[in-house]
Amino acid sequence: MQPTTTIIVRPWNAATLILRITIISLVIITGYAFTTFNTRGVDFWAGVDMLGSNFSALLLTPYLKNITFDVMVHNLFITIGLGFLTTIFGAAIALGLALLAAQNLAPRWLTIIIKGLTAFVRAVPTVLWVLIFAVSAGLGSVAAVLGMTFHSAGYLIKAYSESFEEIDNGTNEAHKASGANWLQIVFKAVLTSSATALLSWTFLRFEINFSTAIAMGAAAGAGGIGYDMFMASGFYLNLHEMGAFTYAVLAFAIVLEAGATRYKASLSK
Amino acid sequence: MPLLQIAQLSKRYGTDKYALEGIDFTVDTGEFVAIIGPSGAGKSTLLRCINHMIPMSSGDVVFADASTKSFNATQLRAHRTQIGMIFQHYNLVNRLSVIENVLHGRLGYKSTVAGVMGWYSNAEKQQAVEILQSLGLSEQMYKRCDQLSGGQKQRVGIARALIQNPKLLLCDEPIASLDPSAAKIIMDTLKDINQRLGITIIVNLHQVDVAMRYAQRIIGINSGKIVCDAAPDAITPTIIHEVYGSEAGELILDFGEQYAQA
Repeated sequence: MQPTTTIIVRPWNAATLILRITIISLVIITGYAFTTFNTRGVDFWAGVDMLGSNFSALLLTPYLKNITFDVMVHNLFITIGLGFLTTIFGAAIALGLALLAAQNLAPRWLTIIIKGLTAFVRAVPTVLWVLIFAVSAGLGSVAAVLGMTFHSAGYLIKAYSESFEEIDNGTNEAHKASGANWLQIVFKAVLTSSATALLSWTFLRFEINFSTAIAMGAAAGAGGIGYDMFMASGFYLNLHEMGAFTYAVLAFAIVLEAGATRYKASLSK
Repeated sequence: MPLLQIAQLSKRYGTDKYALEGIDFTVDTGEFVAIIGPSGAGKSTLLRCINHMIPMSSGDVVFADASTKSFNATQLRAHRTQIGMIFQHYNLVNRLSVIENVLHGRLGYKSTVAGVMGWYSNAEKQQAVEILQSLGLSEQMYKRCDQLSGGQKQRVGIARALIQNPKLLLCDEPIASLDPSAAKIIMDTLKDINQRLGITIIVNLHQVDVAMRYAQRIIGINSGKIVCDAAPDAITPTIIHEVYGSEAGELILDFGEQYAQA
């Protein structure tokens, strides 16, 4: 007979203890919050019912009231344009700087400076950059373009430079050994090898910029469908119109996603 | 006539021990030299010091009667165009076609703009086609490099080096990733290039038997120093064990016919 001892699979340590404490305190805080809501006398089930009718007004009965369909499409394209422009500007700036931020292409001190600066640019949210540029350019599309370009460039410099660092360094070595200079290596070996990765990052950033452009239309007065949504919700209090705009945005998001997937597939063939 | 003179070449990474120490040898035009030695002995470093891919710490590399020690960037580019290099992992641009990869060997001769834009003259394209034909790759010309087998990729690597019209070909473990039959094709190709075109070849090898069969001269390196430098006939198992720092009987060796009777 073997002596029966309990075998501990997961021994207690600091990590498990902290995890347990965190979960228990979250449960307690959640319970406390639910019991102390200020409902202002609204019944919970009545509230659920109203939420349901609002969503059905938004999603099941969309129609346009204050603007025509043509104007909505026009404004959607303004928002797409804002997202597209800032992505292109950001990508153009990022392409040059990312080459100088990649450790396999530039001296170490330069990569540290550029990566440090772009980390700072990325740490400040896009909306804040737009508001900062609004000080000199005034609230509107100019500030939106500047602020969004700034943050896009910071984001894409990091993404691009990491794509460059991931490529096979042997190719660079082979070109260097045959006497090719830095620019020739960049264009013939680095960019060709990382083209798909660069494209994926740019598309991803375009998706981000499109949704930011909607928010900027409302928050920074940059126009486009975001401003229409702001008017429909805050001024006309019209959920049906809001629903129409939501579907318009959704339709474009699907087209964008499908297009990006197809383009990437054709490129990596 | 000496093509390459290596004089008291030393290489030290940071303050570590010397990767290469006091390397001295001369290679004549048309020679086929194999460098053997254990991993980490400094074979790759030695090869890369010749075309300054790794800067040397002291000593000099004299190539075609010119001291390369104090070359500036432009001179260095010109120096490298005269030296072809092939690699264990081929180092091709996988996304591009075979002929584009071969033409990349001409970049060193081009202005920045012509290179970036990919403007190759008709003569260069003609030469690329001829080299691919001679290496049996005409059918693969427009294939993407990632569709090729290892042996084919290495032949593209050789073609890219040959279009440089090099005086010297440096081969860093060219057959280490290949199966025996592909390895034989590559070694035969190198031998053919050496004999037919008169291009001097220096090849790093792990396979002692391959070195014995193909090279005219074998240089053994251990811990950054030359241990032996002799024709294959003069290489004995004792010398090989000295190069690899091992006891007799500890190596997988095939000395072939000449030692079978001994």
